[in-house]
Amino acid sequence: MSNLGTAGAKRSATHLLKANAWFVFAFLYVPIVVLVVFSFNDSERVNVWQGLSARWYGEALGNTQVISALRVSLIVAISSTIVSTVLGTAVALALDRYRFKGRRALDGTVYLPIVIPDITMAVMLLVFFAEAFKLIDTFGPRLTLGVTTVALSHIAFNISFVAVVVRARLDQFDRTLEEAARDLYATPWRTFRRVTLPLIAPGIAAGALLALTLSLDDVVISAFTAGPGATTLPVYVFSTIRQGVTPELNAISTLMLAASITLVVASLALQRPRSTTP
Amino acid sequence: MSSDAVTSASPPGADAGVPAVEMHGISKRFGDVVAVDGIDLQIGDGEFFALLGPSGCGKTTTLRMIAGLDIPSEGRLAIFGEEVASWPPDQRPVNTVFQAYALFPHMTVEQNIAFGLQMRGIRGPDADRQVAEATALVQLEGMEHRRPSQLSGGQQQRVALARALVNHPKVLLLDEPLGALDLKLRQEMQVELKALQREVGITFVFVTHDQEEALAMSDRVGVMSEGRLLQVGTPAEVYEHPANRFVADFIGRTNLLEGITESPSAVRLDAGAVVAAANGLAAGSAAALSVRPEQVRLHRRGETPAGAPCLDGVITDATYLGHAFVYTVAIGPTASASGTNTGERAATITARSETGSAALAAGEPVSVSWSPEATTVVAD
Repeated sequence: MSNLGTAGAKRSATHLLKANAWFVFAFLYVPIVVLVVFSFNDSERVNVWQGLSARWYGEALGNTQVISALRVSLIVAISSTIVSTVLGTAVALALDRYRFKGRRALDGTVYLPIVIPDITMAVMLLVFFAEAFKLIDTFGPRLTLGVTTVALSHIAFNISFVAVVVRARLDQFDRTLEEAARDLYATPWRTFRRVTLPLIAPGIAAGALLALTLSLDDVVISAFTAGPGATTLPVYVFSTIRQGVTPELNAISTLMLAASITLVVASLALQRPRSTTP
Repeated sequence: MSSDAVTSASPPGADAGVPAVEMHGISKRFGDVVAVDGIDLQIGDGEFFALLGPSGCGKTTTLRMIAGLDIPSEGRLAIFGEEVASWPPDQRPVNTVFQAYALFPHMTVEQNIAFGLQMRGIRGPDADRQVAEATALVQLEGMEHRRPSQLSGGQQQRVALARALVNHPKVLLLDEPLGALDLKLRQEMQVELKALQREVGITFVFVTHDQEEALAMSDRVGVMSEGRLLQVGTPAEVYEHPANRFVADFIGRTNLLEGITESPSAVRLDAGAVVAAANGLAAGSAAALSVRPEQVRLHRRGETPAGAPCLDGVITDATYLGHAFVYTVAIGPTASASGTNTGERAATITARSETGSAALAAGEPVSVSWSPEATTVVAD
């Protein structure tokens, strides 16, 4: 009798857990599905379904403001990714390899941009640029906020993310391989080129893809550090949404979502240990 | 005698030319830790030399200093007469077989073997021929395009050997190269490695903690403990005439009978009896008499031969090993029946005798003897 009782309790617990799982999935993904579905809605108004159409995608891509914002986004994302990948990898290597003065301090602070709230980081950078411009302007040039300052800000936070990902890869790296290369007549530089770099390359690529994604997605920091004419796509979306959601915004958001998911999946695939190097 | 053994540091064929490796007062400190403490050593051209010792004794650090992977804190180091102590590893005419092989996982077997040649600018048909030769030398034909992860432990080890030997190093350094293999494969590789060394004629310096391996493979052995080189000699020398207590205990099995020297030719054992044993020590110094189990002769009580040192005891354990018996004999006052043992402390002796001789049983009163030449007196 008591056996049947516990079996019943077990069954209802299983049902509850199942229901909970579905609820969580719904909570996470229904808004995304709604966004994607309504981006194909052939209607002027977002909340009225009129039939399937891709017209808002055409509309979005024909909008010169959207295209110029996309251009700024890509310039910022690509340039900040390249610079932060090089610098972040260098930081990871330095922290992994060398014992130098201030190493512990750097080790503790290099990850700070990951935990600092975006808004704090944005204010920080804005104040920094204002002060720096004041100083530089005394020597003549008149500097203003623009694409360059947005890119510099993105480099500032992306270095940390790249450093974290590359260091994870370095943790699994067997230093004896470098000693073997040195023993086999390779100079330090050729050891790095032929042995170290190829083996940590998946980590560097993963870090770079993560940086690209974060740069393409950022709103707060970009909004603060962009001057006129340096509007990125997320900032453009954010500013137009104040006049109400349009189906065109749904289309743009869906495109950004697709780009982000692709990049994140690629990054995760590369981070899988020993996926490309058996 | 013990001091003689320590200073017989020159190889058998050393007078033939410049030593392959020469160390004078080599030390290595890591912070406050002294890993290697003042080593003097000469390794002859073409020698198979083993550095033997327990883990943490400094043998691997010594090898790494020859390779250039660690730089000595002090001392002089020469390879074929050239002072190399401060040279980087890529400029030294030596190559290393690493403990876990350290094969490049992103390269094929062929690319691994060709790496050293490439780094020295040897390319094209000349390089291809040398790689093929090295591959054949270690019998890896047909494996050229595999990745290290697709090879067995034994095959990986051959790649590591080929990758080093293809460069024709003046000295080949091997860091516990057989440690990762299972027993059967290890024994096969011991024979093969020794044959390979004879074939290529290169000086091999070999690090191991396995004393059987060191004795079986090398021309000479250097025994290390706590950063010091305690004894250098042929396997027979270090086995039969260990320089001190550590070497006696570490190399093979031995009976260490504690005592005090009475004269340069006699030792009073704590277990009783004064036995003839040549020693270079001052009378009255604490020492131990080392007698190998296979050198101990067992006699039924009363059948003892005249002239040989002799102790009375009782067999406490007899173990049958197939090819031999191992007996444990309790020696000392409590075991004494005939009254010849006058010492106060008991001792046990392990004896080993071929099967075929009459078997003795536990509890049987016996006498043990040995010939004085078969023993060594060791101090601390």
